[in-house]
Amino acid sequence: MDSPEQAHPSRMTRERLYDAYVALLARHDLAIRRFVRMLLPSQDGVDDVMQETALECWKKFGEFQSDEPDADADEFVRWACVIARYKSMSWQRDKSRDRLVFRESVIEQLSSTALETVNQQEQQRNAVEACLADLPPDQRRLVLSVHSPNESIARIANESGQKARRLYSKVNRIRSLLLVCVERRLAAEAGNG
Amino acid sequence: MDDKYRRLIDQLVNQTISKEDFDRLQDAFEHDADLRREYVALLGLCESLGEIALEDAAFPVDSERKTTTATTRSNDTSASHETPTAPARPRFTSMRFAIAATAWFLLIGSFAFWLGQWNQSRLVEDMVTDGETSESRIAGHATLRRMVSLQWPDDSKRYLTGDVLPNGPLVFDSGLAEIDFFCGATLIVEGPASLEIESDWSVFVSAGRLRASVPPAARGFVLKTVESEIIDLGTEFAVEVKTDNVRVEVIDGEVALRGGEHDGKHLVTGESASLKGTPSDTSVIEGLSTMIELDQRHQEAEADGYRRWIEHSTELRSDDRMIAHFAIAEGIRERIVPNAALTGQRFDGLMVGPVGITDGRFGPESLGLEFDRPGSRVRTRIDGEFQAFTFTCWVRIDSLKHRYNALFMGDGYETGEPHWQIRDDGSLMFSVMVDDTQQSEHFSEIDQQMVQTAGLHRLYYTEPFWDISNSGQWFHLAAVYDPANRRVSQYVNGKQVASEAIPDRFHITTLRIGAAEIGNWGQPFRETPWFAVRNLDGTIDELTIFNAALSEEEVGHLYERGKPLGY
Repeated sequence: MDSPEQAHPSRMTRERLYDAYVALLARHDLAIRRFVRMLLPSQDGVDDVMQETALECWKKFGEFQSDEPDADADEFVRWACVIARYKSMSWQRDKSRDRLVFRESVIEQLSSTALETVNQQEQQRNAVEACLADLPPDQRRLVLSVHSPNESIARIANESGQKARRLYSKVNRIRSLLLVCVERRLAAEAGNG
Repeated sequence: MDDKYRRLIDQLVNQTISKEDFDRLQDAFEHDADLRREYVALLGLCESLGEIALEDAAFPVDSERKTTTATTRSNDTSASHETPTAPARPRFTSMRFAIAATAWFLLIGSFAFWLGQWNQSRLVEDMVTDGETSESRIAGHATLRRMVSLQWPDDSKRYLTGDVLPNGPLVFDSGLAEIDFFCGATLIVEGPASLEIESDWSVFVSAGRLRASVPPAARGFVLKTVESEIIDLGTEFAVEVKTDNVRVEVIDGEVALRGGEHDGKHLVTGESASLKGTPSDTSVIEGLSTMIELDQRHQEAEADGYRRWIEHSTELRSDDRMIAHFAIAEGIRERIVPNAALTGQRFDGLMVGPVGITDGRFGPESLGLEFDRPGSRVRTRIDGEFQAFTFTCWVRIDSLKHRYNALFMGDGYETGEPHWQIRDDGSLMFSVMVDDTQQSEHFSEIDQQMVQTAGLHRLYYTEPFWDISNSGQWFHLAAVYDPANRRVSQYVNGKQVASEAIPDRFHITTLRIGAAEIGNWGQPFRETPWFAVRNLDGTIDELTIFNAALSEEEVGHLYERGKPLGY
């Protein structure tokens, strides 16, 4: 093989593996992150679990590649999700004393439900974007602002002087409208093959 | 589905659910698959909304987002002529992706100890925030903003202008330093000085004269001496710490003293106190530099440095080993970046695309070219055959936002042509195409498999020299390709950071440049409109190419003669 790596075979192989891993992770971190979020009762811990998952995946990535040399991206995500589920469980086990956590049987159930759609993250997002475009501007702004990082309905209610209760129900309503729209779009797409 | 549970799901997502309801919902999840699907779908929606909100915040203008997407979509497999390009996909070439990817690369940086490439002493680490994304964090409490005629003792740690100061000592013999604490307090310190930076809010002073300006946001800033602590309650005060004499004087506002014989005492505008030694009539502030004086001295010193560099640069031009000398700091003509070497205007550079013109390394008097937008580049064409290469440049990096960030790149990367770039982990990379007719194999991120591509070449790396804490600082970089002695050496700020032998099969004696670019890699694939995005997010104000292998001494000399203020 005419390649430049002869001088440091082990280092370059490792480096190549690393490049492959980083590429896969960068490409699919959103899907894996979403999966993790679904197994935790709140955003708390998502970053922790993701970080641990990424580390663990890297440790095992060599095995994964040799076991499944022809693995496609989908299989990588599913494999990473198995590790993510395990990490989500142990995170919640550790935190069970001071916050609400799901019990293990529920995590198992949620995990299999979440896996049904884990590879549809991009389609879902496209659909959400399309549905958002159909919303009146003020509703679109509201629903995006409460989902901005570090924002919450409680805080926005506080700042805007609106009654939190009213704002909650408004956001809940917009979300369920969006959900119906997204499902319709996804179904239509599936119908088109 | 039961509306009651739907309400509980909403409450869980909004984080307003009670413990009892949470348990009821868990019970329901156990045996109701539809309920779980509903919950998972709602969370998916929320995550999508979060991603979109984040992107909108980063790219408020739609058209801008489209531009970014278009230019980042380098889907040509030959993009991986030598090494894979950054993962490119149309959907997430967005801010969210950029942030996530950066975070991952930083995080994954911690794996790099396997590769022996991780520098333990680096200031940046990955951090998990309570927000949506991980972000990098800089460990430090203050920035060394400016320095004038600062002399460091031989045995103490030296810093450069713009360095982030971590916990620990800051000692200098003479000169003036301006230190910005992250809390907002600014100190102008005159040497000889010895400080110990303790936190964003406190500093211990064992020697030195200084003026502290404390804006309202930084009220409570504490300056400690052996005798007592000075707690600022507003605006400005001066302190002098000598072996047998420690005094404080309030220029404007109020300070409180804690500990020592003055414990509990408050001083207001014009009042002073002797914390140690005999009281004196002379004012502490007498002769102490103000911000305006510092500004002036800084400007003068900068102008001085610029003049000295012009002299040096003029001398350099008579060096007939020089292939090209782009002395950008001295000026440009319209869109032309003049070649100041004897080889003359046939090797001039041409600014193409949105190249920004900004301050060079000697401040406002000098110029620099900014390549922060993807289309920016300076093109040149340097024909001829060469026996060796030395590339040197002065660069200020704002971020390493691409996997590979270009300094100087031969267009087609054909036999004998150089590539000089910086990898996203902060390593320098230099390579020359040895034989573009041979096949080599590499991993293509686009195809997700090993692919054969043309080209036998070898990449020479350094350890990482840059991380985000160096953002905005000037660096002198050099790469020496020496076929006669079969060696590739690389330098940062005049110091050799890597030196590697050229293995036999990568040995090549006839070097070329041809069409090439500074700050970007423009036209690697002539048959398609796609271009790899490798523009440097930073500024270059000087780039020189020699047809010779400069010695370590010569490179050191170039650095010494060309360095900006505070180096």
